[in-house]
Amino acid sequence: MTSAVLAILILIPTATFIYKVTVLDYRIANILPQTEYRVGLRMTLDGGDGRVRVATYAPVDDVRQTISEESQSAPQVLHYTIEAEGLNRQAIWLGAPVPEGVEIRYEFSALLSAVDFTIAPDLEVPESYPRAVREFLQPTEDIQVDAPEIRERLHAIGADRGPLGERIQKIYDDTAGLGFRTFKGTTDALTALRLGEASCNGKSRLFVALARATGIPARLVGGLVLQAGSKRTSHQWIEAYIAGHWVPFDPTNHHYAALPAHYLALYRGDEALFRHTGEINFDYMFTTRERLVPSPEARASFSVLNVWDLFARLHLPFSLLQTVLMLPIGALVVVLFRNVIGVPTFGTFLPALIAASLAATGLMWGMVSLVIVTLAVLFARLGLQRLQLLHSPTLAILLTVVVMSMLGTSLVADYLDLEELARVAYFPIAVMAITSERLYLVLTERGPRAGMIDYGGTLLVVLACYLVMNSTAMQVLVSGFPEVLLLVIAANIYLGRWVGVRLIELWRFRRLWRGEGART
Amino acid sequence: MNTLMTTAPREHWLQRWQKARERLAPLFGMNRRNVELVYAHNERRHYPLADDKIVCKELLQAIGVPVAPTIAIGRGLFEVDALLEQLREREDFVVKPASGSGGDGIIVIGKRTEAGWQTPKGRQIAVHELRQHLANITFGSFSKEMEDRILIEERIEPHALYHAFWSDGVCDLRVIVLRGRPLLSMVRVPTHRSGGRANLHQGGIGVAVDISKGTTYRALSQGKEVEIHPESGELLIGRDLPDWETCLKVALGAASAVPLGYLGVDICVDRRWGPVILEINARPGLEIQNICGQTLGSALEKAGLS
Repeated sequence: MTSAVLAILILIPTATFIYKVTVLDYRIANILPQTEYRVGLRMTLDGGDGRVRVATYAPVDDVRQTISEESQSAPQVLHYTIEAEGLNRQAIWLGAPVPEGVEIRYEFSALLSAVDFTIAPDLEVPESYPRAVREFLQPTEDIQVDAPEIRERLHAIGADRGPLGERIQKIYDDTAGLGFRTFKGTTDALTALRLGEASCNGKSRLFVALARATGIPARLVGGLVLQAGSKRTSHQWIEAYIAGHWVPFDPTNHHYAALPAHYLALYRGDEALFRHTGEINFDYMFTTRERLVPSPEARASFSVLNVWDLFARLHLPFSLLQTVLMLPIGALVVVLFRNVIGVPTFGTFLPALIAASLAATGLMWGMVSLVIVTLAVLFARLGLQRLQLLHSPTLAILLTVVVMSMLGTSLVADYLDLEELARVAYFPIAVMAITSERLYLVLTERGPRAGMIDYGGTLLVVLACYLVMNSTAMQVLVSGFPEVLLLVIAANIYLGRWVGVRLIELWRFRRLWRGEGART
Repeated sequence: MNTLMTTAPREHWLQRWQKARERLAPLFGMNRRNVELVYAHNERRHYPLADDKIVCKELLQAIGVPVAPTIAIGRGLFEVDALLEQLREREDFVVKPASGSGGDGIIVIGKRTEAGWQTPKGRQIAVHELRQHLANITFGSFSKEMEDRILIEERIEPHALYHAFWSDGVCDLRVIVLRGRPLLSMVRVPTHRSGGRANLHQGGIGVAVDISKGTTYRALSQGKEVEIHPESGELLIGRDLPDWETCLKVALGAASAVPLGYLGVDICVDRRWGPVILEINARPGLEIQNICGQTLGSALEKAGLS
């Protein structure tokens, strides 16, 4: 009976898996979720009696990047507008008079992809270009296309002759080969050439100058190299107009006719990222967070039981889908720990639920806040024990302590500028409350030793659940093939009849099976 | 001399692994106990019979299995004063919550004093303190439920041998029974560390009993083998337990009184009444395998039940 049920539970998902991959042409590679970046720009300034104007570039959509969920917040006195300016979009805040210590926040989400171009070897440098492109051949103050030194350098490296591909390769090699040095402010093309070393903007300007001099339209691109965390540094690279495409080159970080997926373009042209009225003590900081979202190709390719589309239609976030789909996997991990290893935990669902909650707060700070709240519960218990109250009111007081300690943690963390810890409020209150109740009951009924063992076991299993539930491979598998949940049921049926000795019992009964002191 | 010494050839790890596996096969872990013993022989709805001392006691008395004489039963707060009136002239009794576990809420009362009573250890208990305790039991302070009943029994006077093992509390004799056959047996002896309780995980000493002869052969204190009780100094092993045949009969009688196929029967041997049932457990623990140095699997085989 059991084996028949098991066979069915294993056969169905295996068959649909094979059907999806072979007949419906599911691509595992497509299922891999993409990284979506949430970029926040925080600007601080001190106003005064005069007019204040702050402008920066807002990213635009192109073949590489898709921008969404754009938002800003600024004090009432600052008026916010977005203006198109050539190829770029400018976000502008205007106001007067503006108080001191003003903070402007501007945020957006970006989905980025990598690009890689191949330049045909026989491609010649065209005689003429469309009018819109022609301006990118002109000299500017900092890109001295006509300077004799630029011409000489072009000739010296042999980039003034031959097919387009060869010329651009030589220019790239020459600029990428310059020494790197961080300069404050702007380095023009000639200075970079004379010094033989430059930062990203000097190298890029020299690249643009040389390309324009040899007849290839080129322009500067300013943006950010995204990685989770905070930074002030922006980056510059260039684009050259080749066979009708603007092809990227980054001589500083060595990307030839290619860009990796974490480059975000903010503006094109030789511009400054920020423009603001003087004497306002301007400062800024970019912060970047990463999260996974399903790739559009995968969403389109799934035709059967497409849970992603279902969630999209219901306007539910992908992270919720991940949580919901991964919970049974987490519960299975708990079962393995309890029944196969023998680690005691508070209940079967609780470690999986805690692990799911940690997705919102991050592993470390979520654990820290959990420990803080449970410590508060322990202290509260010391006092409550003396009062000898009835059960239900005791637990109601406990819930209040949980809420107060969560609020207190948020307040203190905010005061200490620990933004991650302040997000403890994201931790579902129900999960926090149930954990505290369990801890309290075990401590009361079975003593501090058992309570601490169960608590430690729970934290350990939470960690394991978090690692499994947050693994991309697992999430891809379950969201692309929800029928694997039948396999989870099958595994639980098997484990439900499994009568093997738990790992911890091997230790507990070691004398018996090692044959020491056994009675025959 | 050295040249004459031979060493046993070291076994291949695979052989050693297989031997360990063979020895492991009859060991009962928690999973196997639950699936093959508890779920297979005990219906969940019958657990309360074992968990409620009063229900259990009534079942046992009904078919003549000996138990400690009941003095009174209290069903709620409204009976507390009547109970106290009944106990006013009494000495040597025990107050128990009907569904407490692990000995929680049990108070042993010794001699009468001016203000009330004193425990065998000499702690004074005034009448109002006993009233408070009885009320707490009815509020369910020692049970998982919101209310509970009070059981008041005559105090057991342990048989001379058990008294010699430990004089401050009660040693109990546990017999594991499956489908009417005794499997393993041990005596649990309290220590100072266990606070006078016989529970092994609280520091009590487990003494293995040979089920065919009623003789003790091994004693474990906190996982270490001992021969004498570290505090009372009494020899624990090689002792013939009193009334062994009757003990087994009483254990099997108790097992037949309840609809549970697998159970642990806890017995106390009183010097006046002989063996009496203390309580019954529908999910007895596995530590008895370590105490007896014998797996449940081999015990099942010996009993012809495997």
